[in-house]
Amino acid sequence: MKLRTILIMAAVLAIGMVVSTSVPAATEFVVFELRLPRAALAAITGAAFGLGGALIQAVTRNPLASPDVIGITQGAGLAATVALTTGLRDGGSAGGISIGAFAVAPAAMAGGLLAAACVFALGAKKGFSANRFVLAGVAVAFALRAGIEVVLTSAETIDAQRAQIWLIGSLNGRGYEEAIPVGTVLLGALPVLLWAAWALRTTSLDDDVARGIGVRPVARRYGLAAVGAVLAAAATAQVGAVDFVALVAPQISRRLARAERPPLVASALAGAALVVLADFAGRWILAPTQLPAGVLTAAIGAPYLVYLLLRSRGRT
Amino acid sequence: MVACLGALLLLVAVAASLALGSKTIPLGEVLDPSTIETSLIVRTMRLPRTLVGIEVGIALAVAGVIMQTLTRNPIAEPRILGISAGASTGVVVAIALLGVSTLSGWIWWGLLGAGAAGALVFFVAARTREGASPVNLALAGAAIDAGLGALIFGLLSVDAATFDQYRFWVVGSLAARTPQMALQVAPFVVIGLLLAAIAARGLDALGLGEDIAKGLGHRVSRVRAASGTAAILLTGAAVAVAGPIAFVGLAVPHAARKLAATLAHRWVLPISALLGGVLVLGADVLGRVLFPPSEVPAGVITALVGAPVLLWAVLKR
Repeated sequence: MKLRTILIMAAVLAIGMVVSTSVPAATEFVVFELRLPRAALAAITGAAFGLGGALIQAVTRNPLASPDVIGITQGAGLAATVALTTGLRDGGSAGGISIGAFAVAPAAMAGGLLAAACVFALGAKKGFSANRFVLAGVAVAFALRAGIEVVLTSAETIDAQRAQIWLIGSLNGRGYEEAIPVGTVLLGALPVLLWAAWALRTTSLDDDVARGIGVRPVARRYGLAAVGAVLAAAATAQVGAVDFVALVAPQISRRLARAERPPLVASALAGAALVVLADFAGRWILAPTQLPAGVLTAAIGAPYLVYLLLRSRGRT
Repeated sequence: MVACLGALLLLVAVAASLALGSKTIPLGEVLDPSTIETSLIVRTMRLPRTLVGIEVGIALAVAGVIMQTLTRNPIAEPRILGISAGASTGVVVAIALLGVSTLSGWIWWGLLGAGAAGALVFFVAARTREGASPVNLALAGAAIDAGLGALIFGLLSVDAATFDQYRFWVVGSLAARTPQMALQVAPFVVIGLLLAAIAARGLDALGLGEDIAKGLGHRVSRVRAASGTAAILLTGAAVAVAGPIAFVGLAVPHAARKLAATLAHRWVLPISALLGGVLVLGADVLGRVLFPPSEVPAGVITALVGAPVLLWAVLKR
């Protein structure tokens, strides 16, 4: 079942990549220099979101837990908003906007990781309580969200609009330059992934049961959640808050594979396929107007999840 | 004990809401106005928004308790279950497609949207293999919330004029509410509270798990239907009249459970109701006195005040 889900998701991803680079027909330059880098970025960030979401959901045992629920998205968003609305964007702007954009992503990454660290610190008290962790995340997320509103309302209109677009999440005008950092993190996470696939088998156990069979459940939960947080922060930093992917991709693949917890590889592939398709749909539906990918991931992912929920009836 | 304290706090909040603002009116004046000006301020401006604030606070907090029990998820709230997004969709459709431009007109559409979205969430969840199980309810809610969010974004991005009206509603505020509006949503709040009270014992059992609830002799589907309807009516009424005021439905139930030191709904529901009223009224008053004569919408303040409240409830053992 798991293998079949992985194959289906890989096929959907491949078809999505082909369609999104070749439709509508265009010159070689457009296909290889503009669309392919963007599709690659979509696939890589989608995979990072899907994998990060799967880890966070498995550790917290909460299907609603995702980077935007535990504050990572808002931390990245606040840092990016500050970077976009203050002088940082023009910091050494000899080369124009590219230097500015370069400064926004590391700031956002740092912000996301800092928020995650806060949530970890607040949630850490006598072991790992999934509920305390998630609730601390929600509280931090709301406080940071309020911070974003404050920065947005006190900024110049044009800067605020730019920040707003960043907050929705879009792949417009982005490519390999943004894909490389996320890809690096994803590659770095691969060995951890092998460990995680093995370690996850005990996270659904009660802490006492886990201790009884000789594992250290708390350290393991923190390790897995930290990997998920880094992946989500890296992806958010490059493309903005395309974060519904992290919630929906693990659930889609979990339902397709009929697994107890979100399967990791299938979640990554589902996330990649979803962002590629969403970015394509956003470019194509109202062309030449581009809809941000962050909106289309919800428009595509939400109905599909509802369909999967309904379809589960009558099956064992 | 805690309930008495909550009631006392609510009285203080009501008094503050009537007395404080860009023009401070002493309490004696509030009860027995000596000039036409103060009488007008109290009766036409402060009294209605105080009433609406109480309604909204009670409704959101009680709905939050129900949703957290039904989904057995501590982060369930009006926003996550899609009901709030339903009300927003109703208002956006009313503005963009039907040209409704008054606050009282939007209330009906908000209620309609909330009802439709809530019914859809429960319908989808009930049609799944496990029935309206906690996980499926939460996921159906999250999916419909996200889908409606995308729909709203689509409608607003092609229609700037609608956005201009919508953005003032969506912040969540008690300003410029009239007594008629308070009355307009009152029946929904009252029916919702009655249903919640009836379902309270069943909710206690459901909190222990579906099998135990069945074993205790509760009809699980009936408890879910009654309390779900209550949550939809309460959230719909609150969001329709004041916009989606953030965080009350999420933070207040946690604080109430901590203060009551019990999970029994016959205590948690009323204490949440009182604290919800205190939080919304307090946020509204704070928003009025921070930067007079301009106002910070209550929805912004609740998020700022609610975050530490939730952290306190989470971290205190």
